[in-house]
Amino acid sequence: MGYRVGVDVGGTFTDVICVTPEGEVVLDKTPTTLDDQSTGVMNGLALLAERFGRPLADLCGDLDILVHGTTTADNTMIEMNGAATGLLVTEGHRDEIEMRRVHKEEIWDPTYPAPLPIARRRARIPIPERMDFEGNVLLALDEEAVRRGVRRLRQLEVRSIAVMFLFSFVNPAHERRAAEIIREEYPDVEHISLSHEVMARGPEFERTSTTLVNAYVAPRIAAYVGQLQEKLRSAGYGGPLLIMQSTGGVMPPEYVSRRAVSLLASGPTGGVMGAALAASRAGVGDFVAVDMGGTSFDLCLVRDGRPEIKTDWNWRYRYYIGLPMVDVQSVGAGGGSIARVRQGALLVGPESAGSNPGPVCYGRGGTRPTVTDADAVLGYLPADGFAGGRMTLDVDSARAAIERDVAGPLGIDVVEAAWGVERIVNANMADATRRVLASHGADARDLALIAYGGNGAVHAWAIAAELGIDRILVPRAAPAFSALGVLVADYVVDLLRAYVVPLSQVELGRLRGLLIDLRDEAAKELEPTGLTLDQIDIGVFAQMCYPGQNFDMSVPAPEGDALDEPALLDLAERFHDQHERERGFCFRNQQPLLRGARLVARGTTPKPDHFAEPGTEPDADATRTGTRSAYFGSEFVDTPVFDGTRLAGGATIAGPAQIEEPFTVVVVPPGTTARLDELGNYELTLD
Amino acid sequence: MTDVDMVQLAGHRGRLIDVPDVDIVTAEVIRGAMETICFEMAVYVSRTATTPILNQSNERNATILDAKGRLAALSVGIPQFMLTSTLPVRFALDFFGEDEFCEGDVFAANDPYHGGGHLPDYNVFAPVFAEGEDGVRRMVLIASIQCHHGDTGGGVPGGYNVTAGDIWGEGVRWPAVKVIDRGVERRDVLYALQTNNRIPSYIGDLRAQIGAAQLACERLERLIDRYGASVVEGSVDHMVDYAARRFREEVGAWPDGVYEADAYVDHDPLGNPDIHLHVKITVDGDKLTIDYTGSDTRQEIQAWSTFGNTRGYTVGQIASMMDPEIPKNEGFFDQIELIVPKGCVLNPHPDRPVSAGTHHPGADVGEVIAVAMQHVLPDKAVPQTYKTGIPTIIVGQDPRTGTTFTDHSAEVYAGWCNAGKGMDAWGAQNASFGNLWKATAEINESLYPHIQWGRDYRTDSGGPGQWRGLCGSHYEKEVRADAKVYTYVVGMKYPMPGICGGEPGEPNRMVIRYGSDDEFVVKHTADWVPISAGERVMYDYGGGGGWGNPLDRDPQAVLDDVLDEYVSHGAAERDYGVVLTGTLEDLTLTVDEGATAKLRASRRR
Repeated sequence: MGYRVGVDVGGTFTDVICVTPEGEVVLDKTPTTLDDQSTGVMNGLALLAERFGRPLADLCGDLDILVHGTTTADNTMIEMNGAATGLLVTEGHRDEIEMRRVHKEEIWDPTYPAPLPIARRRARIPIPERMDFEGNVLLALDEEAVRRGVRRLRQLEVRSIAVMFLFSFVNPAHERRAAEIIREEYPDVEHISLSHEVMARGPEFERTSTTLVNAYVAPRIAAYVGQLQEKLRSAGYGGPLLIMQSTGGVMPPEYVSRRAVSLLASGPTGGVMGAALAASRAGVGDFVAVDMGGTSFDLCLVRDGRPEIKTDWNWRYRYYIGLPMVDVQSVGAGGGSIARVRQGALLVGPESAGSNPGPVCYGRGGTRPTVTDADAVLGYLPADGFAGGRMTLDVDSARAAIERDVAGPLGIDVVEAAWGVERIVNANMADATRRVLASHGADARDLALIAYGGNGAVHAWAIAAELGIDRILVPRAAPAFSALGVLVADYVVDLLRAYVVPLSQVELGRLRGLLIDLRDEAAKELEPTGLTLDQIDIGVFAQMCYPGQNFDMSVPAPEGDALDEPALLDLAERFHDQHERERGFCFRNQQPLLRGARLVARGTTPKPDHFAEPGTEPDADATRTGTRSAYFGSEFVDTPVFDGTRLAGGATIAGPAQIEEPFTVVVVPPGTTARLDELGNYELTLD
Repeated sequence: MTDVDMVQLAGHRGRLIDVPDVDIVTAEVIRGAMETICFEMAVYVSRTATTPILNQSNERNATILDAKGRLAALSVGIPQFMLTSTLPVRFALDFFGEDEFCEGDVFAANDPYHGGGHLPDYNVFAPVFAEGEDGVRRMVLIASIQCHHGDTGGGVPGGYNVTAGDIWGEGVRWPAVKVIDRGVERRDVLYALQTNNRIPSYIGDLRAQIGAAQLACERLERLIDRYGASVVEGSVDHMVDYAARRFREEVGAWPDGVYEADAYVDHDPLGNPDIHLHVKITVDGDKLTIDYTGSDTRQEIQAWSTFGNTRGYTVGQIASMMDPEIPKNEGFFDQIELIVPKGCVLNPHPDRPVSAGTHHPGADVGEVIAVAMQHVLPDKAVPQTYKTGIPTIIVGQDPRTGTTFTDHSAEVYAGWCNAGKGMDAWGAQNASFGNLWKATAEINESLYPHIQWGRDYRTDSGGPGQWRGLCGSHYEKEVRADAKVYTYVVGMKYPMPGICGGEPGEPNRMVIRYGSDDEFVVKHTADWVPISAGERVMYDYGGGGGWGNPLDRDPQAVLDDVLDEYVSHGAAERDYGVVLTGTLEDLTLTVDEGATAKLRASRRR
């Protein structure tokens, strides 16, 4: 077995992690290159080669696999610089994308602007055609109108075309025919997205939005991945490249480039998948994964080792994405969140100083006090820089900024002010967590907390205390945890085919056929991975709901001969049971509606034995590097500081303490005990 | 006949603690926790209610009040409606008295003349008890959750019996009843509630609200345990004071003066024309008075907005004209001196029907305020209103199932969205409907026998202006079963007004049996008008008003509008004085700068 590398591109840093043939885990960071992320990726590989003392080409030759998390799709949506996109749409439904089912984000603010359009109205071409909800043709496709429309889009210099016809997920004939005509009329069009392929279900606004986003970002993803593959080839790498998706799984470029929208918001899922693995190794099944970085706080509820999946009300960059995604919620709370006083109220975030100019104490031109500045004033951070020693902190300036912007206006002293900033940002993160838990009907007190990201280890104890959680895991790989996550993520193929019919009227032959089609398609998609059948776990589901419901539920379903009439009755019972379990009620006298068949295939990837190289010193005291005066709510206390890189597995440290790692500090408050486990996780136990 | 003085009910209710002694960080943390608990209440309903209108439409308003009935925190469903959710609680406080608000109690209420908005809105609320500093348990807070139900008894399913002669004809009235008495379910009361509702799942949905209120009580008790009752009360005072300060700061920046305006509703459901609203707004330093004296007092009309409803729409409009970050609590609306003479359309004598009036003249309150303030607050005067009448109801037999269907036409369409200074109107409705989530063709065509043939924007229906009003929809729906149509339409004579020199939007128009030899053009109502399978209902929804003189619109923006067919080539010249050469067909349109300048100059003269 050769080297395995995970690379995750973040807003500030590109994190790389490498598992050597011997099982050693090496981690590093290099600045993200925003204009072309592949440069940063190659820089990261070069850093690794340097660490191993080998030429890059050598390392590339010994690489088994490269797994990549990219924010290219997200950046395209943030900057709204995707491909010039047009839409062919059922006549009469040209404006669904603007009407957004009447939704506006800011209900008190009539001056809140419209989202930037992916396809302006002139590039949304109405096409006479219509299916009914059962897929019967009400109005034949006007092929001449499609031809005229495509010519119009060419005239408008559109490069990517989305096709969205009503009920195409029930009967895709018109969309398929339109695609043929597009290719005839516009052979060198860069991309075509057919709505029934992108999202095989209704309703039309959700599908229109998802399909348009897909068409908009797909050419960018294709170009980026092509560029990266080219660079890797010329560096001497000929192995597989896998890309992280927001489903929490990885797949090869050919697969993801057709489903570019599935890369959206894939960034934070890497960390969640890493957390799920670390937790399962540590014997923790139910937990909240929290990632506190510079500008945002991302969190995800994981139960029974499985991250919660979001299937509805999923807005990203003001567009609705109707595909299942790992449910990572994000709020504007991070180290860079700015504290300010307004009319006697102290507010922290969502406005952020980000990494540039960053907190005042970084000395890079930031003038407004941030959470990191409060951390520095309260003594949670090493003024002389992290063990990496790349940066020293200007604590005096941080104190002066808090004095000026917070303590002064409130008429309190500077420590009280810094502690106030701390309490508010921690409460904001705890409130955000409570909201997510409420949406899933979970209680914080039944959960552990797994914290990562640059600031996760500093604030984990306070968030946990606020939520009533007494067990925290901080992986030593925390600062580059997303890179670890993408490396350990499994292959995931998630396919959906519509078949809308009351369950009592299901034609068994048709449903069985659908499931066979799904299996064939999954096998085809997984072929390039070289996985053998025993490495693939396949789940087959009936998508069901009660008539009138907005959402479906995935109910495990039998296949082939086992899918007979009694099995259908059983399916109804299982749906009622599952509905009662997940939503608290069911209607046993109501006939459920089948909406489609879903197949989820998971292919396992090799996992490392541990996630960070442990030190060798079993006696914590021997790793003590000094003392820092830190504040935990009543007074400054002397807090011993330890060098985490030297600690051996099993070492235990009683708080108050601070454990320094190359890119972060684990803050252990009084009354809390930290223990480093054999896998490379700090486990904090609160009183 | 009962006659509750709602002005008194809404009146100022002192502070909890004379001198708040709570540090502002704690107050801020408690505010965040309370808003989170409100959110948890709303989510609990969406997770456990079974009827789509409760678990999918977002029309749920969760609030926390203090023991005096002052609003402390909320999670908003529909802005205008949330503000009717405090007064029923206050009525219950007055009616039962503090002695009968016991630990473990849960109450329900829906009556417009006891604080509510309209009968389908059911409020469920429960007192939160905790130990005070003296060791005695007392009521500290009240948790309340209000939801719109699909029925409320009465003459017509759905609670919109717009031709009912009085409130009793519209549904069953529950001024305030105890559904849980000290933790014990009142089976008799719940059974009575159930018996007076057509929808079988109604009682389950009400139980979802009860569960939500109880969940909030548990959460709030924990919060009080942690911080202490007086600290939580001090925090409530702090939040209320903060909102009041911010509110006064905004008003203080408005120019002093007296601003008046009139607005009209086309007619009531009986056809009585020109329902009149008058407002006199006085800005005096940081003090704001809104006086509706002079509004319609005809007693024979049938368009009554109760005081609570009028107050809700008033606060909704004012809130949209201020910094959206100001918390919407007691401090916010306690600052408005509201004068609504008893007996006028905005504060009716008891027992008048309200189905029609909840919306019109209720919603039109926003319009009259915006019109009054347009010249002093030009960049904030965007009416947060609509001109809908009531939702259209189509009833028939579904040939697919043989059962009766009731289609409330709650699908997406665009209408009545005004432009603001610096921004063309966008989307489908004004921002105050932001939380609504309407159904679409792919949802409703499987539920009802109809085909939605289209609802695109109507070219040239948005009011011209320097910034353009939103186009309304041209909506066509084919019914696929013989059916009957019931509706009430306004906004045909009085469309959305232009602001600061902008032009009004196009009016509404509705035709039943559209395109047949026997069209029924709706004049004010359709009282179960028959329609045959294969025939269509057509709605031309009205556009929003424009902002500012259309001659000031950037010609390039007009050109863009023509390319996007929001505006026709002809209207560019007619409405905006912009001369375009070339054709849309060939994409050769350009602005003829010289001819445009000349034409605009001649128009200005």
